[in-house]
Amino acid sequence: MRSLHVEGTGWLYRLSPRVKLISLALFSIALFMTRDPFLLAVGLLVGGGVLWQAHLGLKETLSRLRPVMLTITVIALFSFVFASPLEATISLFRLTALTLLATAITASVSISQFMDEITLAIRPLEKLGLAKAADIGLAVGLVIRFVPEVVHRYELLQDAHRARGIRAKLHTILVPLIIMTLKDADAIADAIDARGFRGQTSSPDILRGD
Amino acid sequence: MKTRDLVLIALFSAIIIALGLLPPIPVAIIPVPITAQSLGVMLAGVVLGAKRGTLAVLLTILIAAIGLPVLSGGRGGLSIFNTPTTGYLIGWIFAAFVTGYLSEKLVNRQQSGLVQGVGFFIASVTGGVVVLYAFGVPYLGYAAGTGLEKAFLGSLAFIPGDVLKAVLAALAGRAVLAGYPLLPHRA
Repeated sequence: MRSLHVEGTGWLYRLSPRVKLISLALFSIALFMTRDPFLLAVGLLVGGGVLWQAHLGLKETLSRLRPVMLTITVIALFSFVFASPLEATISLFRLTALTLLATAITASVSISQFMDEITLAIRPLEKLGLAKAADIGLAVGLVIRFVPEVVHRYELLQDAHRARGIRAKLHTILVPLIIMTLKDADAIADAIDARGFRGQTSSPDILRGD
Repeated sequence: MKTRDLVLIALFSAIIIALGLLPPIPVAIIPVPITAQSLGVMLAGVVLGAKRGTLAVLLTILIAAIGLPVLSGGRGGLSIFNTPTTGYLIGWIFAAFVTGYLSEKLVNRQQSGLVQGVGFFIASVTGGVVVLYAFGVPYLGYAAGTGLEKAFLGSLAFIPGDVLKAVLAALAGRAVLAGYPLLPHRA
């Protein structure tokens, strides 16, 4: 799985990730506070300008914007037909401006920078004993590691269907896929505990023997 | 939290993401093709229960937000939070919780297969359709500026597909409960 982050050296990339994320939040609040199409158009220019500074190249930029812009366009058309052209313009400008800036920020903040910010953000929760920052990092790592595995299993199950002359259907694949995948949980959990990744000295599970 | 629960949450998040990579499936009786990813949300509640199911969905959204293109159609990055359909994404969290909570309350291993299936179906429809739309529709109406009523009419086309997913989730939930029960072992 390829991250949406790209290596870069421009000012956008050198800026602290915290500043970028807070600016994005403020930008979105500002956009939702105004209904003036002129001000929203200025926001559109700001978003576009920052995204241009991410230097992604035209082709890459368009391919990233396509999925989100598709929804935004459909909704704008919907609101053009059922509400008013003004409403349609407001929602089109507002959402497009946000999408442009969010795409730029996403490209310029790496996964590890994001993880650092998340760790910082949940520190108050950690102090209360409600969450462990290291666990979140571990879980994200596990997911990235296991997505290709699950996709591979899905393909194997499709082949197994084909070999038996059955058309592969979602509901006949789903159950074996879930059971096969979740059955690994014990082995993976043991491997993690054996390496002491979660910093336990002795697992109560082992002592109780279950 | 036990390491095993952490791993189960991560593995289920991987399943939700993998379901999003499948191409949308056209179903003959329904006008819109369905994506399997929101099925994954119902399954998370049905298979893992309220707490772990909700955490699996939260983990998936977190991974999308930090810039991995894991939502169906290759969406990812912070822009997922500002489309008019963001309400549905936030609704996923509550959908998984309600589905999981009702599954824990309605289904146990002593029941017959039929009762289990019906219980899982009620849990999936309540969480994955009623609760999900309660978040998605008002936000859509607000963000697109069309108002609640029109947003609801526009969403109607997707309801048959989502009910169908609830049926699939119920069948799968029953089979997983028989083959590899995880629901009773609460986190």
